[in-house]
Amino acid sequence: MNPSPERLAMKFVINLTIREIRSSWKRLLFFFLCIAIGVGSVVALRGLTRNLSVAVGGDVRELLTADFTVTSTNAFSPDDLTRIDSVVEGAGIVDGRGETIELAIAARPADRSKESIALAGLKGIDDTFPLVGEFRLSDGSAFSYTLLENEGAVVSPELLDDLGVRLGDEILVGEAKFRIRATFAEEPGRASGFSVASRVFVAYDAFDKAGITSNTGRVRKRILFRTDSNPTQLVSDLREALKGTTLTVQYYKETQQDLGEQFARTEDYLSLTGLLILVLGGVGVWNVARAFINQKRKSVAVLKCLGAAGTRVISVYLLQILMLGLIGSLFGVVLAQFTVWFIGLRFAESLPRTMSYVVPIPTAMQGIALGVLVSMLFSALPLLHIRTIKPRLLLHDDSGEKTGRIDKTKWLIGFFSLSGLVALAAWQAGSIRVGTIFLGGLAVTSAVLLAASALLVFLLRKFGGYGSFFLRQAVNSLHRPGNQTRVILLAVGLGAFVILGVQSLQTNLLRVFDLSNNENFPSIFFGDIQKSQIEGFVDLLKSRTGEEPEKIPTVRARIVLLNGEPFDFQDREVRQRQGQIGREFAVTYRGELDENESIVSGEWWDEAAEDPELPQVSVNESFARRLDIRVGDDITFEISGRKIMAEVANLRKIDFSNSRTAFVFVFRPGALDNAPQSYIVTMLKKMPERDRARLKNAVLDRFPNVQIFDVLDIAKLIRDLVNNFVLAISFVGSFVMLSGVLILIGSVALTKSQRVYENAILKTLGAKRKTLTLILLAEYGLLGLVAGVIGAGFATALSFAVSIYVFDIEWEFDPVLMVTGIAATALVVMAVGTAVSFDVLFRKPLGTLRSH
Amino acid sequence: MIDLSNVSKVVRSGSEDLRILDDVSVTIPDGQFVAVTGASGSGKSTLLGLIAGLDAPTSGCIVVDGEEITEMSEDDLAETRSRKIGFVFQSFHLIPSLTAFENVLIPMEILGLEDARDRAAKLLADVELTNRGHHYPSELSGGEQQRIAIARAFANEPKILLADEPTGNLDSRNGGHIFELMTDLHREHSITLLLVTHDASLAAKAERRIRLKDGRVVADESLA
Repeated sequence: MNPSPERLAMKFVINLTIREIRSSWKRLLFFFLCIAIGVGSVVALRGLTRNLSVAVGGDVRELLTADFTVTSTNAFSPDDLTRIDSVVEGAGIVDGRGETIELAIAARPADRSKESIALAGLKGIDDTFPLVGEFRLSDGSAFSYTLLENEGAVVSPELLDDLGVRLGDEILVGEAKFRIRATFAEEPGRASGFSVASRVFVAYDAFDKAGITSNTGRVRKRILFRTDSNPTQLVSDLREALKGTTLTVQYYKETQQDLGEQFARTEDYLSLTGLLILVLGGVGVWNVARAFINQKRKSVAVLKCLGAAGTRVISVYLLQILMLGLIGSLFGVVLAQFTVWFIGLRFAESLPRTMSYVVPIPTAMQGIALGVLVSMLFSALPLLHIRTIKPRLLLHDDSGEKTGRIDKTKWLIGFFSLSGLVALAAWQAGSIRVGTIFLGGLAVTSAVLLAASALLVFLLRKFGGYGSFFLRQAVNSLHRPGNQTRVILLAVGLGAFVILGVQSLQTNLLRVFDLSNNENFPSIFFGDIQKSQIEGFVDLLKSRTGEEPEKIPTVRARIVLLNGEPFDFQDREVRQRQGQIGREFAVTYRGELDENESIVSGEWWDEAAEDPELPQVSVNESFARRLDIRVGDDITFEISGRKIMAEVANLRKIDFSNSRTAFVFVFRPGALDNAPQSYIVTMLKKMPERDRARLKNAVLDRFPNVQIFDVLDIAKLIRDLVNNFVLAISFVGSFVMLSGVLILIGSVALTKSQRVYENAILKTLGAKRKTLTLILLAEYGLLGLVAGVIGAGFATALSFAVSIYVFDIEWEFDPVLMVTGIAATALVVMAVGTAVSFDVLFRKPLGTLRSH
Repeated sequence: MIDLSNVSKVVRSGSEDLRILDDVSVTIPDGQFVAVTGASGSGKSTLLGLIAGLDAPTSGCIVVDGEEITEMSEDDLAETRSRKIGFVFQSFHLIPSLTAFENVLIPMEILGLEDARDRAAKLLADVELTNRGHHYPSELSGGEQQRIAIARAFANEPKILLADEPTGNLDSRNGGHIFELMTDLHREHSITLLLVTHDASLAAKAERRIRLKDGRVVADESLA
């Protein structure tokens, strides 16, 4: 049987495609790389977030170490316990119950010859721990509760390093001594490696016996429950029963849902960043496809002359693009896998231990689909040009391809390409709106970048003509027909913009958070100092530092009712803000506004005036905004078991950059005078590390219950966070720059034949190789300079806008960074451009002129 | 048979209309060897291009082997060329990304012939380039490239061979060789051969000579 005409046509298309790829792959290498880099970044970013979300959120039940928990920052009152027990027993599905108690506190070696000190997360557990999940020690064996009996402790390995102690040594926590019996590999209930304090597990009873909890309100007590069937109804009943109390109920399924949504959002946004790189790759694809088709005009005309129909010829090149897109995407996935491995090698310590470093198959498939689609969308218009190539150009090379008519197909394909792009962005962002905004934003940024580059190039042309010969030639080159100036400026400018923008933001963030240099910011906070201790404490500090420390009375309070209404934690939105509104606040009282505070609404109280009917409270403005609290509202607080209703007298703004303390609630003196209170003492003096350790030890020797917060520790944590964040964005930014450089290389290669011809003419006219080299250097140097200036300009605007409007921090221009950035961009472009064109200088002119 | 009646071709050059062919009417019977001569710009190549359907006339009618091609779509024209017409250009116009063998293969693949590879090998042998089949055009001399172009033009056994100054870019030895190759094939296969040339000695070997001047036929003589 003879093959059908369709099959034969297909065979022709496939055969020719394979032959074309065989001979043109070098020219299309950039096409391939553009797609590979784009797909690589999308897949790496999405794969990492997905694996992280699986590692962190995969089994939230284990994270919670229970099915549901009830948490309190006070001891559970008999009434609380009765309510809880009656609901729980009524349900009859609970098959396990345990309790934990937690507190952040300083730990020291019991050996007093050592001066080390570290903040520890002390956790008292009972013998049911963990109700859900596994607890394994560093040596791989299972945890046994007997390790904690008789003042034993199981600690995280980092604590040994921090304190300079070993297994078997004793540590001091508060007034108690514990012997370190083991370290653990992975803590149940904590997946991420990011934490302030090293964990210390002790027996629940030891906590109380050691008197650690007696004087502090920072303790978090938790009752954990395991059930043998779905506890959703039980959790809801429990919330209802506990309405109006300060207890919070946490249910693993809800936590899982919240975490899942958070990760999905992060994943979508990161994918958009990846898509940005892929779209940049798409611009490269468009550029290469355009030039490629232009180079292939004659071949296309020959094929048409030999009898191939236009659609068949388009099919050949479309298939070629699709195959390259597919191979590029596959290579991108390999690239992503290497990136993910690299991240595993480099950052495993900061990431969950159970995290996988293999790109998930669905993510890889998605990346491949994305790569092929982007290849197609961006090459559709250039490919369409094949239609207009007429075989007659073999007879007369009049282009004859331009028609005045509006080409409907072109517009149609253009429209479809754009719609396809919007669909891709919407798919990646998980929302049509965000996808459209993303593309719109990108289009506006590109348009502005292009306009700025057009202006700069125009100015160069206008005023650059006065320089030496090579400079004039270089400026002219930026305008040569078929020049790639705009594409290069867009691609490289965007790369410089992202990198410099992030760097500038980092400088500003780090400067603001560098608390150690802030004269007005305390260097150490001491908390939980009891009334009976305050005199002695202040004396001790004065004798050690010579500074009169500031002491502030504080009372611990929780919000119970707002305008008479309890928070409804059955409501998911309210529950998601549980951490902000349900927590315990340290509140204070005073007659005067602090220097760093200002009133934005209402009036500060006049202490001399007669006491009002209701106690008055001042609320921090940003907190008030979040809860929609206004002047005149009433808030009921629970303070040491008593309920106090206060009227909001004013809203206060706090300048955090110039602040010793920042209280959300400040009471008018009177109402809290007799409430059980402790003191916070702040110390401004900056001291070297060794002196600080000595001071902290001296304080704890006399006042073991006192809480110490070293601002250096907090500043370090913030710095690490900012640096990690910046590292992540710079990583993405470097991909953007890489795409830019790739497009640059591609563009230079595309205009090479023209440069070869120009150089041949110049050589014939007597130009020496040195002059030609200078022209080359000047041309790319100028191009890089313009791209750098544009990138730096927009980066400055970005960092200004984000600092002021998003982070609400002071912004400073960083001239060194920007000048370095511009110079680096100019150098990179000059080096790459010159390197790619260098061989042009050595071509003999005669051969070139003859063949042209 | 090729039949042109009142064919004109006008193109726009700047702000003026340029009449490249002016009311040309010619009939060429099957199997005839016709030389088309004339000075540069007289419209020879355009005439050949119009017959091949590479361009459309501004007015007039062209019938090739019984089919009127003037009103055909691009794709139909392509198919007609594929089945009936072979074309040889002055500057060869081989596809640079394909080997010599593949260049010969292409027209047969377009037509979907099954024994394409065997036939391509035979055609290469006919033009004595069997051992150069795996070379790319850039690796071949001008004469070799034109021989490949001739093999390609004969690939689909066309009824008509159009040659636009096929020896124009070659030295006299290679030019003579190419001319012989074409006339041999013309004789062996009894195809119609239309040869555009500047070379009076080559034109003298044709059966009929048509001379163009400023787009008009100024002489049409039988030489046989």
